[in-house]
Amino acid sequence: MPRYKMVNGERVQLTAEEEAARDAEEAAWEAGAKDRAMANLRTKRNNLLKETDYYALSDVTMTDAMTTYRQELRDLPGTVADDATAADVDAVTFPTKP
Amino acid sequence: MSIIKLNNRAVKDATAFGSITGLGNLVFISRSTASSSSSLSITSGLTSTHKEYIFVFNNLHPASNSNLQFQTSTNGGSSYGVTATTTFFYASHQENDGEAIVTYNTGRDHAQSTDFIYLTGDNMEASASDASVSGYLHLFEPSSTTFVKHYISNTDHVADGPYQQNNYSAGYFNTTSAINAIQFKLTTGNIDSGTIDMYGVL
Repeated sequence: MPRYKMVNGERVQLTAEEEAARDAEEAAWEAGAKDRAMANLRTKRNNLLKETDYYALSDVTMTDAMTTYRQELRDLPGTVADDATAADVDAVTFPTKP
Repeated sequence: MSIIKLNNRAVKDATAFGSITGLGNLVFISRSTASSSSSLSITSGLTSTHKEYIFVFNNLHPASNSNLQFQTSTNGGSSYGVTATTTFFYASHQENDGEAIVTYNTGRDHAQSTDFIYLTGDNMEASASDASVSGYLHLFEPSSTTFVKHYISNTDHVADGPYQQNNYSAGYFNTTSAINAIQFKLTTGNIDSGTIDMYGVL
Protein backbone atom coordinates (compact mmCIF):
# COMPACT_ATOMS: atom_id res chain seq x y z
CA MET A 1 0.00 0.00 0.00
CA PRO A 2 1.49 3.37 -0.94
CA ARG A 3 2.43 5.81 1.78
CA TYR A 4 1.52 9.48 1.88
CA LYS A 5 3.15 12.43 3.57
CA MET A 6 1.76 15.83 4.42
CA VAL A 7 3.79 18.77 3.12
CA ASN A 8 2.44 22.19 4.07
CA GLY A 9 -0.97 20.59 4.48
CA GLU A 10 -0.90 18.88 1.08
CA ARG A 11 -1.15 15.07 0.89
CA VAL A 12 1.68 13.79 -1.29
CA GLN A 13 2.46 10.20 -2.24
CA LEU A 14 5.96 9.04 -1.39
CA THR A 15 8.29 8.47 -4.30
CA ALA A 16 9.79 5.03 -4.85
CA GLU A 17 13.03 6.32 -3.36
CA GLU A 18 11.23 7.69 -0.31
CA GLU A 19 9.31 4.42 0.09
CA ALA A 20 12.59 2.48 0.07
CA ALA A 21 14.14 4.85 2.61
CA ARG A 22 11.11 4.53 4.90
CA ASP A 23 11.15 0.73 4.55
CA ALA A 24 14.79 0.74 5.63
CA GLU A 25 14.05 3.00 8.60
CA GLU A 26 11.20 0.82 9.78
CA ALA A 27 13.25 -2.36 9.32
CA ALA A 28 16.08 -0.86 11.38
CA TRP A 29 13.60 0.16 14.07
CA GLU A 30 12.17 -3.35 14.18
CA ALA A 31 15.64 -4.91 14.27
CA GLY A 32 16.56 -2.78 17.27
CA ALA A 33 13.56 -3.78 19.36
CA LYS A 34 15.46 -6.14 21.65
CA ASP A 35 18.31 -3.67 22.16
CA ARG A 36 15.81 -0.98 23.17
CA ALA A 37 14.06 -3.39 25.53
CA MET A 38 17.38 -4.29 27.14
CA ALA A 39 18.26 -0.61 27.49
CA ASN A 40 14.91 -0.01 29.21
CA LEU A 41 15.51 -2.97 31.50
CA ARG A 42 18.92 -1.62 32.51
CA THR A 43 17.50 1.87 33.06
CA LYS A 44 14.79 0.50 35.34
CA ARG A 45 17.34 -1.74 37.10
CA ASN A 46 19.67 1.22 37.65
CA ASN A 47 16.85 3.29 39.11
CA LEU A 48 15.99 0.50 41.54
CA LEU A 49 19.64 0.20 42.56
CA LYS A 50 19.83 3.97 43.15
CA GLU A 51 16.83 3.73 45.45
CA THR A 52 18.82 1.47 47.78
CA ASP A 53 22.32 2.90 47.31
CA TYR A 54 22.26 4.54 50.71
CA TYR A 55 22.28 1.10 52.33
CA ALA A 56 25.86 0.82 51.03
CA LEU A 57 27.06 3.84 53.02
CA SER A 58 29.74 2.99 55.54
CA ASP A 59 27.62 4.09 58.50
CA VAL A 60 24.60 1.97 57.48
CA THR A 61 24.28 -1.77 58.03
CA MET A 62 22.91 -3.59 54.99
CA THR A 63 20.79 -6.65 55.71
CA ASP A 64 21.47 -9.95 53.97
CA ALA A 65 18.11 -9.66 52.22
CA MET A 66 19.04 -6.25 50.83
CA THR A 67 22.45 -7.52 49.74
CA THR A 68 20.76 -10.39 47.89
CA TYR A 69 18.18 -8.06 46.32
CA ARG A 70 20.82 -5.68 45.02
CA GLN A 71 22.93 -8.54 43.66
CA GLU A 72 19.87 -9.96 41.88
CA LEU A 73 19.28 -6.56 40.31
CA ARG A 74 22.86 -6.37 39.10
CA ASP A 75 22.62 -9.90 37.68
CA LEU A 76 19.23 -9.39 36.05
CA PRO A 77 20.33 -8.43 32.49
CA GLY A 78 22.52 -11.54 32.42
CA THR A 79 19.50 -13.78 33.03
CA VAL A 80 17.97 -12.82 29.68
CA ALA A 81 18.46 -15.63 27.17
CA ASP A 82 20.35 -14.88 23.99
CA ASP A 83 17.35 -15.86 21.89
CA ALA A 84 14.87 -13.83 23.94
CA THR A 85 12.61 -11.46 22.04
CA ALA A 86 11.87 -7.86 22.96
CA ALA A 87 8.55 -9.04 24.40
CA ASP A 88 10.43 -11.59 26.53
CA VAL A 89 12.67 -8.82 27.86
CA ASP A 90 9.67 -6.60 28.63
CA ALA A 91 8.17 -9.49 30.59
CA VAL A 92 11.20 -10.06 32.84
CA THR A 93 10.20 -10.21 36.51
CA PHE A 94 12.19 -7.92 38.76
CA PRO A 95 13.18 -9.11 42.26
CA THR A 96 11.03 -7.89 45.12
CA LYS A 97 12.51 -5.22 47.35
CA PRO A 98 12.81 -6.53 50.95
CA MET B 1 -19.16 48.30 29.95
CA SER B 2 -16.03 50.22 29.22
CA ILE B 3 -12.58 49.28 30.44
CA ILE B 4 -12.41 49.81 34.15
CA LYS B 5 -8.73 49.22 34.62
CA LEU B 6 -5.83 48.89 32.21
CA ASN B 7 -2.25 49.02 33.26
CA ASN B 8 0.85 46.89 32.85
CA ARG B 9 -0.46 44.21 35.21
CA ALA B 10 -4.11 43.55 34.50
CA VAL B 11 -7.19 44.19 32.44
CA LYS B 12 -10.41 44.04 34.41
CA ASP B 13 -14.04 44.01 33.21
CA ALA B 14 -13.17 44.73 29.59
CA THR B 15 -15.71 43.62 26.97
CA ALA B 16 -13.86 44.73 23.85
CA PHE B 17 -10.56 46.10 22.68
CA GLY B 18 -9.65 48.43 19.91
CA SER B 19 -6.15 47.91 18.59
CA ILE B 20 -3.10 47.46 20.76
CA THR B 21 0.32 47.86 19.26
CA GLY B 22 3.80 47.27 20.53
CA LEU B 23 2.95 44.41 22.90
CA GLY B 24 4.18 41.55 20.71
CA ASN B 25 2.04 38.91 19.09
CA LEU B 26 1.43 35.21 18.71
CA VAL B 27 0.66 34.62 15.06
CA PHE B 28 -1.04 31.47 13.80
CA ILE B 29 0.78 30.40 10.64
CA SER B 30 -0.46 26.97 9.59
CA ARG B 31 -2.09 23.71 10.63
CA SER B 32 -0.91 20.29 9.46
CA THR B 33 -3.52 17.56 9.83
CA ALA B 34 -2.37 13.96 9.84
CA SER B 35 -4.36 11.43 7.87
CA SER B 36 -2.48 8.12 7.85
CA SER B 37 0.60 10.21 7.08
CA SER B 38 4.15 8.91 7.04
CA SER B 39 5.38 12.38 7.99
CA LEU B 40 4.26 15.97 8.46
CA SER B 41 6.56 18.53 6.87
CA ILE B 42 6.46 22.30 6.98
CA THR B 43 8.63 23.94 4.36
CA SER B 44 7.12 27.40 4.27
CA GLY B 45 6.79 30.02 6.96
CA LEU B 46 10.05 29.42 8.81
CA THR B 47 11.63 32.77 8.03
CA SER B 48 13.25 35.75 9.68
CA THR B 49 9.79 37.24 10.27
CA HIS B 50 9.65 35.64 13.71
CA LYS B 51 12.33 35.18 16.34
CA GLU B 52 10.60 32.13 17.79
CA TYR B 53 8.28 29.47 16.43
CA ILE B 54 5.95 27.25 18.43
CA PHE B 55 4.63 23.92 17.17
CA VAL B 56 1.65 22.57 19.11
CA PHE B 57 0.86 18.86 18.89
CA ASN B 58 -2.77 17.98 19.44
CA ASN B 59 -3.67 14.32 19.93
CA LEU B 60 -1.35 12.73 17.41
CA HIS B 61 -2.38 9.07 17.28
CA PRO B 62 0.10 6.47 15.98
CA ALA B 63 -0.83 3.57 13.74
CA SER B 64 1.88 1.44 15.39
CA ASN B 65 3.59 1.46 18.76
CA SER B 66 6.25 4.05 18.08
CA ASN B 67 7.91 7.32 19.10
CA LEU B 68 7.39 10.84 17.79
CA GLN B 69 10.52 12.41 16.30
CA PHE B 70 11.51 15.53 14.40
CA GLN B 71 14.37 16.98 12.40
CA THR B 72 15.05 20.19 10.54
CA SER B 73 16.40 21.24 7.18
CA THR B 74 18.62 24.00 5.87
CA ASN B 75 17.75 23.32 2.23
CA GLY B 76 14.02 23.93 2.20
CA GLY B 77 13.10 20.34 2.97
CA SER B 78 15.15 18.56 0.33
CA SER B 79 16.72 16.65 3.20
CA TYR B 80 16.30 16.54 6.97
CA GLY B 81 19.32 15.93 9.18
CA VAL B 82 20.96 18.93 10.82
CA THR B 83 23.65 18.06 13.36
CA ALA B 84 22.23 18.37 16.87
CA THR B 85 23.22 17.85 20.48
CA THR B 86 20.28 17.20 22.78
CA THR B 87 19.12 15.95 26.17
CA PHE B 88 16.11 13.84 27.03
CA PHE B 89 14.41 12.94 30.29
CA TYR B 90 10.95 11.94 31.32
CA ALA B 91 8.65 11.32 34.22
CA SER B 92 6.30 8.37 33.92
CA HIS B 93 3.53 6.87 35.99
CA GLN B 94 1.67 3.62 35.43
CA GLU B 95 -2.11 3.71 35.25
CA ASN B 96 -2.18 0.95 37.88
CA ASP B 97 0.04 3.11 40.13
CA GLY B 98 2.67 0.37 39.99
CA GLU B 99 5.63 2.58 39.16
CA ALA B 100 6.40 6.28 39.10
CA ILE B 101 9.89 7.33 38.01
CA VAL B 102 11.98 10.16 36.62
CA THR B 103 14.67 9.07 34.19
CA TYR B 104 17.33 10.59 31.98
CA ASN B 105 17.32 8.37 28.91
CA THR B 106 20.71 8.14 27.18
CA GLY B 107 19.07 6.19 24.38
CA ARG B 108 17.03 9.22 23.42
CA ASP B 109 19.64 12.00 23.43
CA HIS B 110 22.04 13.09 20.69
CA ALA B 111 25.69 14.10 20.64
CA GLN B 112 26.39 15.77 17.33
CA SER B 113 24.04 13.48 15.46
CA THR B 114 22.01 14.04 12.32
CA ASP B 115 19.43 11.40 13.30
CA PHE B 116 15.82 12.32 13.98
CA ILE B 117 15.30 13.62 17.51
CA TYR B 118 12.98 11.93 19.99
CA LEU B 119 10.05 13.88 21.39
CA THR B 120 8.62 10.87 23.26
CA GLY B 121 10.52 8.38 25.37
CA ASP B 122 8.83 4.99 25.38
CA ASN B 123 6.58 3.61 22.67
CA MET B 124 3.26 5.34 22.27
CA GLU B 125 0.33 2.98 22.50
CA ALA B 126 -1.36 2.42 19.16
CA SER B 127 -3.92 -0.22 20.06
CA ALA B 128 -6.04 2.04 22.25
CA SER B 129 -8.05 4.38 20.06
CA ASP B 130 -8.06 7.06 22.74
CA ALA B 131 -4.26 7.05 23.22
CA SER B 132 -2.27 9.97 21.80
CA VAL B 133 0.52 12.48 22.31
CA SER B 134 0.08 16.19 22.84
CA GLY B 135 2.59 18.89 23.62
CA TYR B 136 4.66 21.63 22.11
CA LEU B 137 8.06 22.48 20.66
CA HIS B 138 9.70 25.91 20.66
CA LEU B 139 12.31 26.64 17.99
CA PHE B 140 14.31 29.79 18.56
CA GLU B 141 15.45 32.11 15.78
CA PRO B 142 15.81 29.48 13.06
CA SER B 143 16.86 32.08 10.51
CA SER B 144 19.92 33.20 12.46
CA THR B 145 23.17 32.99 10.56
CA THR B 146 25.15 33.87 13.68
CA PHE B 147 23.99 31.42 16.34
CA VAL B 148 23.14 27.76 16.76
CA LYS B 149 19.39 27.03 16.83
CA HIS B 150 17.97 26.05 20.20
CA TYR B 151 14.77 24.13 20.77
CA ILE B 152 12.85 22.95 23.82
CA SER B 153 9.96 20.50 23.82
CA ASN B 154 7.53 19.10 26.33
CA THR B 155 5.11 16.33 25.38
CA ASP B 156 2.80 14.00 27.23
CA HIS B 157 1.70 10.67 25.86
CA VAL B 158 0.05 7.37 26.62
CA ALA B 159 2.82 4.79 26.57
CA ASP B 160 2.32 1.14 25.78
CA GLY B 161 1.57 -0.45 29.16
CA PRO B 162 -0.42 1.69 29.59
CA TYR B 163 1.31 4.47 31.44
CA GLN B 164 1.57 8.23 31.28
CA GLN B 165 4.86 9.75 30.26
CA ASN B 166 5.87 13.43 30.33
CA ASN B 167 8.88 13.98 28.07
CA TYR B 168 11.37 16.83 28.09
CA SER B 169 13.69 17.21 25.14
CA ALA B 170 15.96 20.17 24.45
CA GLY B 171 19.09 20.97 22.54
CA TYR B 172 20.52 22.89 19.67
CA PHE B 173 21.12 22.40 16.00
CA ASN B 174 24.79 23.08 15.64
CA THR B 175 24.65 25.16 12.51
CA THR B 176 24.84 28.83 11.61
CA SER B 177 22.90 28.16 8.42
CA ALA B 178 19.28 29.22 8.49
CA ILE B 179 16.81 26.45 9.26
CA ASN B 180 13.88 26.75 6.86
CA ALA B 181 11.93 23.49 7.12
CA ILE B 182 10.91 21.00 9.78
CA GLN B 183 9.57 17.45 9.65
CA PHE B 184 7.75 15.29 12.20
CA LYS B 185 7.32 11.54 11.92
CA LEU B 186 7.13 8.34 13.93
CA THR B 187 9.91 5.83 14.38
CA THR B 188 7.71 3.35 12.54
CA GLY B 189 4.31 3.45 10.89
CA ASN B 190 2.01 6.33 10.09
CA ILE B 191 0.51 9.13 12.11
CA ASP B 192 -3.15 8.16 11.95
CA SER B 193 -4.62 11.47 13.02
CA GLY B 194 -4.05 14.67 14.94
CA THR B 195 -2.79 18.15 14.17
CA ILE B 196 0.36 20.22 14.46
CA ASP B 197 -0.25 23.96 14.64
CA MET B 198 2.55 26.37 13.85
CA TYR B 199 2.76 29.80 15.46
CA GLY B 200 5.25 32.60 15.14
CA VAL B 201 6.16 34.85 18.04
CA LEU B 202 6.92 38.46 17.26
